Amino acid sequence: MSVSEIPETTRAPLASGVSAVGVSRRFGSVHAVEQMDFEAPAGRVTALIGPNGAGKTTLLLMLASLLQPDSGTITVDGLDPAKDSAAVRRRLGWMPDTLGVWESLTAREILVQMARFYRLPKAGIDARVAELLALVRLEELADQPARVLSKGQQQRLSLARALVHDPSVLLLDEPAAGLDPGSRVELRTLLRNLAAAGKSIVVSSHVLSELDEIADGAVFVNQGRTVKQQTIEEAAQQGRRYAITALDPAALAAKLTELGLEFKAGSGRRPSVSLLLSHDDGAAALLRDLVTAGIAVVSFGPASGALEETYMSLETERK
Amino acid sequence: MSAEKTLPGPASAPDPAEVRGAVAGYLGGIRDVVVLEMKQRLRSRGWYIMLGIWFVVIALVTALTWAGWNASMEVRYSTPVPDGMPQPDGPGSAIFEVVLAFVLLFALLVAPALSANAVNGDRAGGTLAILQVTLLTPGQILWGKFCAAWLAAIAFLAASAPFLIFAVLLGGLTPGHVLVSLVMLAVEVAVICGIGVGISALAGRPLFSIVVTYLTVAALVVGSLIAFGLGVQLTQGTIKANQAQYNSAEFGPGAYPGSPEYTCSGPLVEQDALRTERVAWLLALNPYVVVADAIPYPERKTPSYYYSGGMIENISQGARAALAGPEGTYACANGKVQPQYLQQTTPLWPLGLALQLGLAGLLLWLGWRALHTPARRLAAGTRIA
Repeated sequence: MSVSEIPETTRAPLASGVSAVGVSRRFGSVHAVEQMDFEAPAGRVTALIGPNGAGKTTLLLMLASLLQPDSGTITVDGLDPAKDSAAVRRRLGWMPDTLGVWESLTAREILVQMARFYRLPKAGIDARVAELLALVRLEELADQPARVLSKGQQQRLSLARALVHDPSVLLLDEPAAGLDPGSRVELRTLLRNLAAAGKSIVVSSHVLSELDEIADGAVFVNQGRTVKQQTIEEAAQQGRRYAITALDPAALAAKLTELGLEFKAGSGRRPSVSLLLSHDDGAAALLRDLVTAGIAVVSFGPASGALEETYMSLETERK
Repeated sequence: MSAEKTLPGPASAPDPAEVRGAVAGYLGGIRDVVVLEMKQRLRSRGWYIMLGIWFVVIALVTALTWAGWNASMEVRYSTPVPDGMPQPDGPGSAIFEVVLAFVLLFALLVAPALSANAVNGDRAGGTLAILQVTLLTPGQILWGKFCAAWLAAIAFLAASAPFLIFAVLLGGLTPGHVLVSLVMLAVEVAVICGIGVGISALAGRPLFSIVVTYLTVAALVVGSLIAFGLGVQLTQGTIKANQAQYNSAEFGPGAYPGSPEYTCSGPLVEQDALRTERVAWLLALNPYVVVADAIPYPERKTPSYYYSGGMIENISQGARAALAGPEGTYACANGKVQPQYLQQTTPLWPLGLALQLGLAGLLLWLGWRALHTPARRLAAGTRIA
């Protein structure tokens, strides 16, 4: 089902952005990635979603020009990482899921070193590093050894490190892990700004509600295969689960039965019901009906994000 | 597709300025890696403590050697040495040899610790892939790591240099001795660092590569001697020689031939001999042999049965005797009188150094291949990031 669902038009390699077509990679007898297709066009944030061990990190490592696929093609801004790795690496920013920092170096030194490794012109390095430190709010800790930084601060440093050479493709493996809520909001803003500047951004994450806000599109992978590619609009249109709580749960249940709607008892702490509604108009109509019927509705809202809905539906499909 | 077209075609005549720029860029990348590594190392306090302990231990060894030499001289030379016999060297030579042997021993022990986790330690810490996604090439990463490990090891040698210079000042030696021995120590340490960095790029786990590097050092130091000893047993051969006639009654057959003149006479007869030259290369692998053989010592004109040469000289002479084989050492081999003392014309150390550099080079080359990205094959049980 994976390949057939993807429209033919999107499978042609784009001039910019990053794409993988029919990519496979195995480690020994383990097929980490099998015939995976992936597309992250420029100017958009693409989410890479899948359960643990689905092959997300392996795919990102191949996109980051670190791993050679056994078969299939990868292009970064139209270039093949295996043939033209220097040109690809100049365009590529990669933030790994493992937090590797040179512990004795300060945040500033790490960024300066990275700038040198990317052979940026020496004159501009200091200004560029200061700019990045401000961007990830590490100015005050800039001259502290990296080992004193907290996990979230190291994560932000890692992001700055990936941005040092102003790449046009940004591959972020779990960038939000370990970030406090404030930093998450900043990350969201930062990624939206970078996408608006025309960069292609790939974000892998488990925090699906987070991705709803950031991503323009999502690629769902499982067991090494691309399961589904959709945009966030498509995800929103496929119907969403709503959770409703009322002061009198029995009355709410009776009314919903009367309206002929299928619902189930919620799993949350407060007594609630949840039901699948196909679109937002239906939700508005239902709320009006409930209120006019005199049901004391306390809360009425989406039970999950649009991407989470897709994810869960794929999960149940698999079972 | 378009990727091929954008690549610069093979230039018919490479512009020298362009080549210079490429070389400078390559070296600049190595320097950047070295800077990163040195900043990492120099800021850990343990490093300075180790360097301090090293300095103190070598100072102790020097002081004890000096004291021991003075004490033994008092006993041995309470009566003056008869005229015509070589006068004993000053304490410089003895101190120099002991300190040199000691510094080499410690350098061989320290170098693996400084080098053998250079690459896989970074891999375990998640920082290797960070370097690999930059414009650095595998060669730049590897050479940078190697140079950083080597520079750190050189710092230990520099800390021991004052004692070698002290030995020179006490007499009996030239500054050339210190220079040659320091250069040879640096080269030996470079060999070990190269082996360590190469193995660390190949092995998955830092602990494993450190152990393997130490075992390699042990194989070079001890294993080469054992292998030579065992190998010699397999080199039974024959040599044509005739009878040696000793002039002096004082030295019968079986005693040291050569010092008192002897003449060769009679028909050439096949005699059993050990063809040590076939396995001398095993001995050459030993770092002590390489260093000792490379250090010049004065040629002995006088017979040395009374004079006991220094340790360095004895190692060198033994190694060269093994290299010369029975043709050059057996009394009256091919009916010729053999000089008892081997001139310094057939040194063993170039062979040994070539073998050691070959081993280090091979490991570095394999390590360089293992660092290539996009990686096709990964060592079992390792992740690239």
